[in-house]
Amino acid sequence: MKRLAVIASLVALLALPSLAMAKADLVIATDAPPKSMNPQAYSSDANYSYMSNFFDGLLQRKDGKLAPALATAWERIDALTWKFTLRKGVKFSNGNDFNAEDVKFTFERMKDPKYSRFLNFGNAIADIETPDAYTVIFKTVKPVPWFAETMHQNFIVDKESSLTRDDGDYNTHPIGTGAYIFDEWVKGSYVRMHANPNYWEGEPKYKTVEIRPIVEEATRFAALAGHQVDIVNGVPLTLADRIAKMPNVEMIQRPARRCIYLTVSNKPGTPFADKRVRQALAYAINEDEIIDKVMQGKATKASQIPDKATVGYNADIKRIEYNPEKAKQLLAEAGYADGFEITIAGPNDRYINDEKIAEAVAKYMAKIGLKVKLDVKPKSIFFDETAEFKHPFYLIGWFDGSYDFGRSAEKLLHTWDKEKGMGAYNGAVYSNPAIDDLIVKSSSIVDLAERDKALQNINAMVMEDVAWIPLHYQQDLYAVAKGKNIKFNPRPDRWIVVKEIQ
Amino acid sequence: MASYILRRVLQGLLVLMAVSFICFCLFRFTGDPVLMLAGKYATQEEREMVRHAYGLDQPTYVQYFKFIGGALHGDFGKSYVSQVDALDTILERFPATFELAMVAMSISFIVGVGLGIVVSIRPKGALAQVFMSGSLLGISMPTFLTGILLVMVCSVWLEILPAFGRGDTVQLGAWRTGLLTVDGWKHIILPALTLSSYQLAVMMRLTRAGMREVMGEEYIKTAWAKGLSPTKVILKHALRNVLIPVVTIAGLSFGELIAFSIVTETIFQWPGMGNLLLTSIFETDQPIIVTYIMLAACIILFINILVDLLYAVLNPKIRYS
Repeated sequence: MKRLAVIASLVALLALPSLAMAKADLVIATDAPPKSMNPQAYSSDANYSYMSNFFDGLLQRKDGKLAPALATAWERIDALTWKFTLRKGVKFSNGNDFNAEDVKFTFERMKDPKYSRFLNFGNAIADIETPDAYTVIFKTVKPVPWFAETMHQNFIVDKESSLTRDDGDYNTHPIGTGAYIFDEWVKGSYVRMHANPNYWEGEPKYKTVEIRPIVEEATRFAALAGHQVDIVNGVPLTLADRIAKMPNVEMIQRPARRCIYLTVSNKPGTPFADKRVRQALAYAINEDEIIDKVMQGKATKASQIPDKATVGYNADIKRIEYNPEKAKQLLAEAGYADGFEITIAGPNDRYINDEKIAEAVAKYMAKIGLKVKLDVKPKSIFFDETAEFKHPFYLIGWFDGSYDFGRSAEKLLHTWDKEKGMGAYNGAVYSNPAIDDLIVKSSSIVDLAERDKALQNINAMVMEDVAWIPLHYQQDLYAVAKGKNIKFNPRPDRWIVVKEIQ
Repeated sequence: MASYILRRVLQGLLVLMAVSFICFCLFRFTGDPVLMLAGKYATQEEREMVRHAYGLDQPTYVQYFKFIGGALHGDFGKSYVSQVDALDTILERFPATFELAMVAMSISFIVGVGLGIVVSIRPKGALAQVFMSGSLLGISMPTFLTGILLVMVCSVWLEILPAFGRGDTVQLGAWRTGLLTVDGWKHIILPALTLSSYQLAVMMRLTRAGMREVMGEEYIKTAWAKGLSPTKVILKHALRNVLIPVVTIAGLSFGELIAFSIVTETIFQWPGMGNLLLTSIFETDQPIIVTYIMLAACIILFINILVDLLYAVLNPKIRYS
């Protein structure tokens, strides 16, 4: 027994010096863990956020605008053709050169369900040509006007090494061209990385960085209070006031892109088929009160689904303001003076205070004389149900990673069409042939200004027809440790791109 | 003895089969992984493609036998989310959970039994009263509250112990340990205390009850009469008998600690199996969940057998034949 103790302490002594690993220059605590280190394995902002540090896309977003990254120039040649000119002299973190073959490989791999959660995007590409090592020409199956708009989230992998590595390795050890080079991922604990000295945009400021996912809100707050982390995202509303008062912390509030809204069916045979009913629902909701009471002031009123940064945002759209009298009158006109039964569905673990918002909406519906049922449940079940078109009226949130309302319209608004892959997210089953037609037409418009106009028109039409009742844009709350001179400007998409932190 | 062990192992295998079948059936009805696997914009057609690629279009019983066949070869399939081997993913987390459970168990066993003895010697003393009411608190307070309170006091106010994570670790072959570094010990204290609080109170009360009963027995009186030293009487004669139920409870709850330290691991962001299970549930990552439950069942069965054997060692009167 004694001998064992001696051996154990010897081992401990030997091991200790090797642990003198310097604390990272910057420690970031986030509210979501990475799912995979394969950049095509998961299409969530949380995962993109991690990937954006190890990988580059052909393009990137700076202040929401498209900017060159691995491609220096891009153009839409015709409705189906996109051409990208690649940057020269870029290397992957394993030393391999970056060229057109890597781009081709990356996008072709997107069609493989074993590696990709971007099947839809991958399958939209018909053909990839590489006339020379630094030019890539994409042909799409049908017009994809937002093709370039998604290039900031399609991260390029190294062809040579990817072909030979086994899946486990490929999914846990990223090799990219990014500003940071991957060191270690201890699942559930941290992702550690160091600055890429040869990064094409110049070496980033922080040399060693640790991103620590801390899912539990109270623990994330404690880590901040205990000076263990420098930047925290997802500050919970309930703690916002207390954190704002902490002397060593600066809180940053930023309107997010995500719009929380109610989506309404217009299926014939239901009360919702009458536009006056849909209007009445919109008039019944006191959004100011929701923002004030439920969101504690930390939200921005919305008049439409896309946010200002999105192509297709229409500044002229006015919100249907709170007016319960008008709501009752419209219901009476539609022949529902005595109300009808209505179920409001929604998730209870997806958006900020989602269940409470749904409860508030239910109360407003009851106030105009409807018989309300509330049906909120975990997102894993709820989203399945919307995919099966189970709910004609539900609360949901949305923002388009492509910054293009055209794509949103195709997914959310177009009548469901299995063959064409349209309306896959139109869970409430809204259908308007005139709008369908305009959506399809808009996708072939090459000129950006013209396209913007067409999309704004669609946006105005759908708001006029009340397919959606927008509630508010969420606000993101961040906290940054004071006194370390960290200049952190949160992005509207919630990604934490470490090279941007000064 | 050997035949007894064999019988227990066979019983265990049957239980495992039942467990695997039940959880396999359950997951047929909780969320369709295809939605997640195909990505949010996938068309119906692409979803079918994925369903086929992952063999999810086959009838449940075919999938089940495939799973069992694989499991017999140590292949539990791959995580839907990360595409990494499910068993590897869980085993990678095992050291963290095991160490946490070990430390928690040691704390509750040593401190619990120790306090139990102290309390039983002077049951009316002020100290005993304090400990006894403290133990009531330990039993009735939910784990998450204990954890959050400890974090509030030790990490936020006093700033003496870290609130989350495992700290520095050392790789010893396949085992990644945090018990060989100062930082690692600092990190383990709070979660281990949280995890042990309930057990500690139970141990203490059990020891106390047992001690009070035994101390009145004839053979203890004889021991006192023989003039043996108090340590000898209490530790050797009395405690040995008291320990049997205590060890049973300790052993059984150790299995539970390993398998279900979910709450504590979540509060402290401890990178263990409980933490993984919870994330996997949120992600409907079925291979991980099923593998986890199987593994948990294995651990608990194994420990149950071990406890029974330990019984025999502690009390030679018990014979299995």
